[in-house]
Amino acid sequence: MTALLDVEGLSKNFGGLQVSAGITLALHAGERCALIGPNGAGKTTFVNLVTGVLEPCAGTIRLAGETITRLPAEARVRRGLIRSFQVARLFRSMTVREHLELAVLEREGHTHRLFASVGRVPGLADEVAGLLDGMGLTAVAGTAVGRLAYGQQRLLEIALALALKPKVLILDEPAAGVPHAESHRILDALERLPPDLAVLMIEHDMDLVFRFARRIVVLAQGRLLCSGTAREIAADPRVREVYLGSRADVQPH
Amino acid sequence: MSAATNHAATASAPAHGGRASRPQRLRDGAAAPLLAALGLAAFWLFPDDLGLMTRILTAALYVLSLDLVLGYAGIATLGQAAMFGTGAYAAGIAAVHLVADPLVLLAVGGVAGGLIALATGTLILRGRGLTLLMLTIAVAQIVQEVANKARDLTGGSDGLSGIDPGPLLGLFRFDMYGRTSYLFALAVLLAGFLVARRIVRSPFGLACRGVREDPVRVAALGGSPKRLLVAMYAVAGVFAGVAGALSAVTSGIVGLDSLGFSWSAEALVMLVLGGTGRLWGAILGTVAFMTVHHLLAATDPFHWMLFIGLFLMGTVLFLPGGLASLADRFTRGDRP
Repeated sequence: MTALLDVEGLSKNFGGLQVSAGITLALHAGERCALIGPNGAGKTTFVNLVTGVLEPCAGTIRLAGETITRLPAEARVRRGLIRSFQVARLFRSMTVREHLELAVLEREGHTHRLFASVGRVPGLADEVAGLLDGMGLTAVAGTAVGRLAYGQQRLLEIALALALKPKVLILDEPAAGVPHAESHRILDALERLPPDLAVLMIEHDMDLVFRFARRIVVLAQGRLLCSGTAREIAADPRVREVYLGSRADVQPH
Repeated sequence: MSAATNHAATASAPAHGGRASRPQRLRDGAAAPLLAALGLAAFWLFPDDLGLMTRILTAALYVLSLDLVLGYAGIATLGQAAMFGTGAYAAGIAAVHLVADPLVLLAVGGVAGGLIALATGTLILRGRGLTLLMLTIAVAQIVQEVANKARDLTGGSDGLSGIDPGPLLGLFRFDMYGRTSYLFALAVLLAGFLVARRIVRSPFGLACRGVREDPVRVAALGGSPKRLLVAMYAVAGVFAGVAGALSAVTSGIVGLDSLGFSWSAEALVMLVLGGTGRLWGAILGTVAFMTVHHLLAATDPFHWMLFIGLFLMGTVLFLPGGLASLADRFTRGDRP
């Protein structure tokens, strides 16, 4: 079976600094993978390279067999490679519902329509209602996002990604900034993701990582350090070593 | 029976969906009839000021075009007059040499405004913020200089005169009192307002609002921010071009000041005064600015600029959402 997302030898230098050094990673349908590593390991750079925000110096990226290494970010999105943002990056003056409408309209290629009414696009209202319901956001559908609690903004980030019907979903720290008491809601949402979706999660919250991921990939200084199940990673002395000083406590719960 | 149930369900859906709060929907429904009613009332009440009021309506359509660009797509521009003036000159030149039908002239102006916006927008909308602002100024200056040098066509600094449009729809002559001009301008503004409202509520309009807030996020949803911006710039160019043509048709002359920097800047002042990102704010701001301008200039020809300045400062300081936000307070519409 070919991988949905296939990254090979991905490298990036900023001047003399190598922030990504020949990273190779394959992601299959239905996989739940987490990418971890200490601060400055190059996790976000890796996400930016894969999603097309940055251009790699070397390496190839394939999505469902098609090479997408040089495609612009929006073209990758249209092919089903979707990301969420580390810091909720939303349109502050727009309502929750408008966000999801925009995502669905973009996915369906409707945004060139000047004279159609958003309220009358067939099937849109139902689909948006379903997405709102799925994330428990129905009650705040008409609220401007700027007034939303942070945890709800994170849920909306996930709902937005799902609205685009991803094949591969990259979640950049989905629980960052969410109070610990509320992070279970994020986990709940993540556990209800479509089963055939390939998910790559970047996360610092080890609790969330160990609960969610079947496979963990560890990045350190721009290189792939090791990969394995939660138990293997927790037992690996190299992982403990790179985390010493920043986060020595790596244990499955 | 099932048909009836279905009907009831669709009828109640928007209310349950909460697409817009009730006062907002009421206000939306009332905006166009109110505009028409006020416009007609002014026609009866001030028959001696039809010339000024026609200029106000024309300017309102022009400021509306700026609202599409700035308020709904976040494009900072001080060059909207380039589209207005191009539309005015195109219509004026067509009127002198080719056609007399006023509606055709408006179409000529709209196409010209749209094309110049499309061409220049494709070039300059790579930039953002201050860079873009400078580029829009530069474009307007270039267009103005071209109009100045093309003396044979435009009349240069003397202006283009001899625009004598035929009767509207073949029926209504443009009379010396400006009645036809005024009613024509009112109808065009109304139509422009309704079309603009349709556009800002379309999927395209929603995507443009997204770009205004965060282009990178729109790209992450699969949209092309640059394409959306250029499209909105061109659409607004059509509106500005029609406004320019309307000014040429109703006033009979086109001058270089229709392309000037101060005309671009005044549009911005009027828009901010009325409130950006809400179409009737553009109309309200234009009416307020030009009325106050006219009254002050008549009563105190030496210090009126000072009072205009104070008026603007007061509005910006005490009503940051513009005059339109006053109406929000009264109707308690739920707008962020």
